[in-house]
Formats: sequence, structure tokens, C-alpha cells
Amino acid sequence: MADMTVKGAALKAAAEGRFDELPIHNPSIECASRERIEAIQLARLIDQVEWTYNRVAWYRDKMDAMGVKPSDIKCLDDVRKLPFTDKSALRDTFPYGLFAEPLDQIVELHASSGTTGKPIVVGYDKGDMDLWADCIMRLVQMAGVVPSDRVQMAFGYGMFTGGFGLHYGLQRLGCMMIPAGSGNTERQIQMIQDYGTTVLVATPSYALHVCEVGEKMGYDWEKSTLRVGLFGGEPCTPALKAEIESRMHIVCTDNYGLTEVMGPGVSGECLASRDMQHIAEDHFLWEVVDPETGEPVPDGQMGELVLTPLGKHAIPVLRYRTHDLTRVIKDKCACGRTTARMQKVRARCDDMLIIRGTNVFPSQVEDVLSTIEGVTPHYRIVVDNETGLDRMVVHVELKPEAFSDSFEEMDNFRRKIEEKLKSVMLVASKVKLVEPGGIERSTGKTKHVEDLRK
Amino acid sequence: MSISQIGVFVENQSGHVARVLDALYKAEVQVRGYCMSDTGDYGIVRFVVDDPEKAKAVLADMGCAVVTKDVLCLRLADTPGELARIMGVIAKLGINVEYSYSLVSTYIALSVKDLAAAEQALENESVELIDQAQLSALAKLDA
Repeated sequence: MADMTVKGAALKAAAEGRFDELPIHNPSIECASRERIEAIQLARLIDQVEWTYNRVAWYRDKMDAMGVKPSDIKCLDDVRKLPFTDKSALRDTFPYGLFAEPLDQIVELHASSGTTGKPIVVGYDKGDMDLWADCIMRLVQMAGVVPSDRVQMAFGYGMFTGGFGLHYGLQRLGCMMIPAGSGNTERQIQMIQDYGTTVLVATPSYALHVCEVGEKMGYDWEKSTLRVGLFGGEPCTPALKAEIESRMHIVCTDNYGLTEVMGPGVSGECLASRDMQHIAEDHFLWEVVDPETGEPVPDGQMGELVLTPLGKHAIPVLRYRTHDLTRVIKDKCACGRTTARMQKVRARCDDMLIIRGTNVFPSQVEDVLSTIEGVTPHYRIVVDNETGLDRMVVHVELKPEAFSDSFEEMDNFRRKIEEKLKSVMLVASKVKLVEPGGIERSTGKTKHVEDLRK
Repeated sequence: MSISQIGVFVENQSGHVARVLDALYKAEVQVRGYCMSDTGDYGIVRFVVDDPEKAKAVLADMGCAVVTKDVLCLRLADTPGELARIMGVIAKLGINVEYSYSLVSTYIALSVKDLAAAEQALENESVELIDQAQLSALAKLDA
């Protein structure tokens, strides 16, 4: 057996096809037969629907209106009889309307930024936290993380699910957590050096930034104790991952998840099929549907991912519309796992952007501009990552009456818009003032976003 | 005594200033001086013209963001040390020149916060203060 704590051992084992030497957290589930997985899913789906129907009025009303009872769920396909859940359901019932348990059973709250200022909030009971930790333990071991690892968390903590979600799961595995939080890159590198960090949790764009700052400081990544990068929060292209792996001399994987159904850990990347992520199928029932009709697409075809958490009790959402486009395949993976794999999400069927790990909706920009005198409602968002980090430039159209002869005043005006945008989007952007009429008008659906990220 | 300067918002892209100048030319507005600098994504181009009212109307019609501002206009003697002398007069008063640029010949435009104070100071100096009518007439003299 290869020693996974040796730098490069996991990638080497994978390259040589020695996948049996890489850890699998829970083989009885992760390597189970399709029949067994589906039997577990069905049993849990029946319980989940009953739990939800009996405890959440919002779902009970919906199901009653559709004429569906929990007892109608007899096979996995019967999930299609259930109502879809959209983000708006969580927003409209803010804060506790979809909770299925009294608050004294809830041990943690998390939230994600909403499109119009109001966040969505989710809760977890003790069992949910166990379930979440189980998902995390699976995916981190896919990258070769072991209990003796020292993990530096460079995600922000706070209400965002990424920070604490991974923290608890990694700690449950036995890792030593170093809760560095986000930012202060030079200190991050100092901590890696001082504490002998072996695993870095970060967004891929921030990891690249850490890499570059380290290189400038003369830090030798090849000799560093750092061995694994666990990415999340934003999509990571294969090219970016390969670049970070070769420059930092580490192995990097990323995972998929969303606050509404739990947080990170819905699926994770193994070293055998790096573009396809293993879904924790005993905890999430997945469907892939046509985003227009909501009907299932043929097996293996691209469509919108719809998720029903199984066994999650505090907020038991049914058939959550992720708006993420993917395809799912069910054949056995070379790593030994049999759980279905979803292709990494690169596109969404709405216009959400992920900027340095933060969800940004163009409608937020629109909302902010509508509160500022002196600008028109026309705007354009241009995103690139030429410098490695995501950079968002918001083109804002000036009204003639807001123009002043003083460059200083114009610059202050521009900065004021930048500050307002940041306070709502929670991520910094650069505002570029353009002349009146300077933003192209279109007669059809306006294209507000130009995403030039590679 | 002052002249009216036209300030136009332009993006830092090729053709944006040319478009403004074309419009002025077509409207038979003559430019007597201008000021442009590298301020980044966008800038303010300032013009001194023979007919500021007309210039402003033409540019506003095009949808440009345009403002007028009163600035001082001086005609300096064309001898070494004159510019230094004039700036020295203003400096002694503690008046800050926000920006300044030269027009045709030895005419210069000066932007200051307190226009009246600067004007008063300069009236006692041997320098010629120019008003809009004189400046507009200048264009005709040249022709």
C-alpha cells in the first residue's frame, strides 16, 4: 500500500491505476450494487416524504392541491408525482417556514445571499450534521486525505456553508483543523510553513493566488508540506486545476453542493474520473430534467439537476431545482465506487454568476443601480480571470445631468457605486462609467453578462 | 471676466473624441483650445470654443454628457518667464490652480475654485484678461 501522506503518492497511485490503495470512506454504500443503492433510496424517500408531509404545511398544501399523498410513493419514479421546490420557496417562507422541527432541535443555521437582499436560511439538526459530515468524509478521502492531515481552512466561515461544512466533516475524520479563514494571503503562507499544513481548503482562484504570492515570496512549493487542495465555492476548469497541481505540487479535487439541500458534499471528485463527481446517492436522490418542461431527460443526457435530500430532517426540501446543468452516468468507476457520477457543473439555466466563490445575480446590480441617482438602469457585467482571480467589471451608464467637470467628483461617484454594489453582492467589483447611450440596447432578451473566464 | 469652457465625458476608446470634434466642425463651432489627459477608462475633455452655447446644444443633442464651466482666460506676452510670473501671482494668494492649458498662440485657460479672487489679483498685473466676446472675435480675426 502506498503511504497517502507522502507528497504526490495519491496522484502517482491514480496514474498507475492502483485505485485500491486510495481510501474509500464507506465501501458498503459507495461500492454497493445499483439494486442496493436504489433500495436504500426508496426506503429513505418514503420516510422523507412522510416526514415532510406531516411536518411542513407548505408541502402538505402543495401535495394536497396536487392530490398526492405520501402513500403514493411506491417506487423511485414516483418522485415525479411530488412538487418541485425553487429557491423562491425558501425566500418566501423566510426564516423558518420550511423547518420541519421545533427550533430547540436545530443545532446550526446557515444562510446564502438572496437575489434581492433577503437571504435564504437553512437549519440542521444533530442527525443532519452527521449526514453532512459523512458526505464530507467521503469526498475528502477521494483526494487521499487521511485522519493525520493538518487542514488549513481558507474559506470564510460565517453563514456560508462551505467553511463550517468542510470543517466539521474533516474534523470528524480526525484531521487537525487550522481555521485560518479567508484572506491575508501572506499570513496563509506563513501558517502553512509554521504549522506544517498538509491540506488547503480554498476556492480554486484563491488557491492560485496563494500559489503566486508564495512564489513571489520565494516559498518553495515543491518542498512544502502541503499535499492536497480541496476546492469548492466556484467551478474549477481542468486547466486551472492542472496548473495549480503542477505549480504547487499538490493534488486538487473539487466538490459540488448547495446550501438549499445541505452545502458542500452532494458530490465529489475522485482521482479516476476527474470530470465526473460521485453523488452521495444514499443521501440525495437525483433527477435530471429538461429545464423548460421539468420532464426527465433520457439517461446520461444533459439537463437541470434536481435534488431531494434523503434523511435530512430540519429542512426536508423535495425536488429542489438547482438550475445547474449536468448529466449523470451510473456505470462503475475505475476507482471502485459504484455511485452515480455527475458531470462538473459549468453552466446554469439562469444567469447566476459565481465570483470568487460568491453567488452574484445580475438582478442585484440592477437593484443597486435603481437606487442611485445619475445612472441609467442599463448595465453590463464583464467577468474575466486573466490575473488568476475572478475580476468583475460593471459598466454603468452615466446620465448627462450627473456629469461634473471635476475628475475627482466623477471618481468619487464611481467609487460610491462600487461600495453600494459591494454591500449588496458581498464581493468587490470595478465600476466603469460609460457615456450616456454607451451600453448597447437590444430588442430581445438583453445580454447583461459577458463571461470571459477561461 | 471669464470664458465658458465645455467639458465632455468621453470613454477611453478610439473614435470617441473624433466623434465629438466632427459634430463641432459640422456645426461650424471653432475650437480654440482643448485639454485631454490619460485618466483611465474615461476622461473629461475640455474645449474652449468660439460659441460655447451652440457647442453645448450640439453635443447635448448627440446625447453626450456635457457641462460648461467658467474659467479665466489670459493672454500672456510671448516672452520667457511670463507663465512663471502669472502662476507666481496666483500662488502668492494661496489660490490653487485646479488645471490649466494653453489655447491658440499664448492664450491660456485657468480653472480655479475662487474665480473672482484670481481675477481680481490678475487685474493689477500686466497680463491681458480675455472674455468670451474677445475670444470669439479672435476666431474671426484669424480668418
